Amino acid sequence: MSMKGGFARKSKTSSEIPSSSLADIAFLLLIFFMVTTVFQSDRDRPIEWPEAEAAEKIDEKQKNILNIWMEPNGTVFMNDQPFEMTDVSAFVAPLYAASERALVISIRGDRDVPYRFMDQLQQELVAAGVVRVVFAAQLEQSMMRERR
Amino acid sequence: MAVLGNKKGKVSDEIPTSSMADIAFLLLIFFLVTTTFPKDKGLAIVLPEPGEEAAVSQRNILHLIVQPTGIIDVRRGESQQVQSLRPQEIEGLWRQEVSQNENLIAAVKTHPDAAYRYMIDILDALHAANAERISLQLLEDL
Repeated sequence: MSMKGGFARKSKTSSEIPSSSLADIAFLLLIFFMVTTVFQSDRDRPIEWPEAEAAEKIDEKQKNILNIWMEPNGTVFMNDQPFEMTDVSAFVAPLYAASERALVISIRGDRDVPYRFMDQLQQELVAAGVVRVVFAAQLEQSMMRERR
Repeated sequence: MAVLGNKKGKVSDEIPTSSMADIAFLLLIFFLVTTTFPKDKGLAIVLPEPGEEAAVSQRNILHLIVQPTGIIDVRRGESQQVQSLRPQEIEGLWRQEVSQNENLIAAVKTHPDAAYRYMIDILDALHAANAERISLQLLEDL
């Protein structure tokens, strides 16, 4: 019985990392992101957010939320377009009717906008018959507040 | 010469799956990049219906007047006495006032030149104190 060099014998265990399940992992992640993705309807405006400690999540579907941006000089933006303050009511009213009164307005105002513009906007929304309004704000940590 | 039927074709009859992971990762990266998790947070308020105005007894109103400096002038009902407070003190004040009068309404009157964030500070304090009857107005009698 002759031994042929032991080193020549190849091990049966593969030395490569098994990659057959890679696609499964990728598809799993893919499905997660497909399900959680919500395409934003409008672009963010460059504003400085006000901060609030009691800020709560808006309890409404994303498609029923209309963002109204207000820049520090009082310019109003909806769906990426500037609007005259007096045109807001005429634009919002049909949207509100189409959503069967489920529409929630998220007012995203710059922290330094003078309140006169905010009041005008609220008057416009009342005229459009909108009831549910959220003043969008960043969540403020109570630790920060105490330091302030 | 070998029988033709015995010869195995070199072309595989299976769909190549080696690029499946590449396709999946490509789609994955697309969704990773385009995903924006909704971060909508804010202070909810219910606006009055058009033309809806309710007469409220002055006894049940707590006037909170937001000055351009961010100082809050507090006035109770018809009394002319004004108390100047900082926004941080409003939460405690509301809890105290509402324990004495359950029907109290907070009338937040903001000066036209006051920054929006001062109004938000008061609204925040009122929300933190579980106030439900809030009226937002523009300060008219300057």
